[in-house]
Amino acid sequence: MSFNIEFTGEFVAFFSLAVCAIVGAVMALNFTKVVHMALSLAFTFIALAGLFVVLEAEFVAFVQVLLYVGAITILMIFGIMMTKHQGEGQEPSRPLLETLGAIGCLALLGILIFAIRDANFPADSAPLPLDTTREIGKLLFTQMAVPFELVSVLLTVAFIGAVALAKREEDPQ
Amino acid sequence: MQRFWDQPLTWGHGAIFIAGAIGVLAFVLLFVTYAIYFERKVIGWMQFRKGPNRTGPLGLLQSVADVAKLLLKEDTIPKKADKGLFVLAPVLAFVPSFVVLAFIPYSQNLQFADLNIGFLYYIALSGITTIAIVIGGWASNNKYALLGGMRSAAQMISYEVPLVISVVGCVMWANSLNLRDIVASQGSYFWHWNFLPQIVGFAVFVVAAISELNRTPFDLPEAESELVAGYHVEYSGFRFAFFMLSEYVYVYAIACLTTLLFLGGWNPPIPQLDFIPGIIWFFLKFAVIVFCLFWIRATFPRLRVDQLMGLAWKVLLPLAILNIFITAAYIELWGMGG
Repeated sequence: MSFNIEFTGEFVAFFSLAVCAIVGAVMALNFTKVVHMALSLAFTFIALAGLFVVLEAEFVAFVQVLLYVGAITILMIFGIMMTKHQGEGQEPSRPLLETLGAIGCLALLGILIFAIRDANFPADSAPLPLDTTREIGKLLFTQMAVPFELVSVLLTVAFIGAVALAKREEDPQ
Repeated sequence: MQRFWDQPLTWGHGAIFIAGAIGVLAFVLLFVTYAIYFERKVIGWMQFRKGPNRTGPLGLLQSVADVAKLLLKEDTIPKKADKGLFVLAPVLAFVPSFVVLAFIPYSQNLQFADLNIGFLYYIALSGITTIAIVIGGWASNNKYALLGGMRSAAQMISYEVPLVISVVGCVMWANSLNLRDIVASQGSYFWHWNFLPQIVGFAVFVVAAISELNRTPFDLPEAESELVAGYHVEYSGFRFAFFMLSEYVYVYAIACLTTLLFLGGWNPPIPQLDFIPGIIWFFLKFAVIVFCLFWIRATFPRLRVDQLMGLAWKVLLPLAILNIFITAAYIELWGMGG
């Protein structure tokens, strides 16, 4: 069983960023304090942004950092405001559930490995444009204009909904 | 620098990269040392004081002595602080502030990384410092520090929005996000530079930038009279020095960005002065902006915390969006710029 791996710079970058992303995700699950969790999530997101840079998608990478870093900050603040700081004790362990979870995870891993090894990745149909940002912009405002606008309407609706909910809670009567 | 990117990484090229990074670090440290000295001197003169004048000739060694004091000071960590995060926060604040300097072009040929996303890179990475400030405030386990961190997060996230949107006009004008293209698109005479055609964008950018820097009149996260010192009240010694350092490195970055986006970068004000190298023009404009930042700090009172959000969302954001519409209409009607 050979994996056909060449040790190029791209491979080293991919491998270390992938390890960072996974380590961040695992730490996010294992920490007990909410600020630590939010910080390890941020670590994962930055590693993912690094993966986008490896794929030469710089625009996506930095928009990802821009949005998720802000989101993490907000998450941290809500975590600080809405959780108790004392009494963050250990959860009681549930052996049956944990065993079942482990079996499920291993099965999923097996399926994923099988699927990935079976898949054939098509070669690039066209070379990547030099300025990917410009191409994304062109697509967003020509071919993809309607889905783009629909997403913005959806976001606006969610935003107004959030404001309405927050206002109602504030009102004493 | 850019030409080394496309070649395979050898030990020689690696050494050149490292030497370049150390060179920038040394230059930035020199800038920070004397920016602090000039800030104190300028504010002193504006307030009929003398400013630092004892250490060395004209007080020139004052900042050096201050840094030496900070480095030698006892390193205290509060007993009930979250030790790991308390140690991590200053590092996390400084690293992005230094990394954002990688994309700044100082002249036509002097640049480390020619990114075609330009400005977004700065905004994305400077957000990480906000996380560091919140963490520093939370890990100190001190109510003033926590309040400072909270204020900082709210302020940085709100003012990021008008900051980004105010630059969109320049980007439309230049038809590119790349900073070198934006500089190249600004005409040769100084009244063609973006600060006049984009005057609304420029005004919004300056206000939002000062707020992003946490400087007076927007220094609420560290308001001495209300919060003692805000998020870094528990920090001392070299950890405090790191927070201060990253603050001044951001001053450097914002002054560079303002020069590039609105003041024509390395172009001389009139083309007849072309014989003076571009890098001198760049640093002249840079120095003017840094001086204006000190001037603002010396003369403005601090904003009240309840006025802060109103200014960002009700004044700056509509103005920035209006600027985009006007620019788009102008480009569409007269076919200028992009």
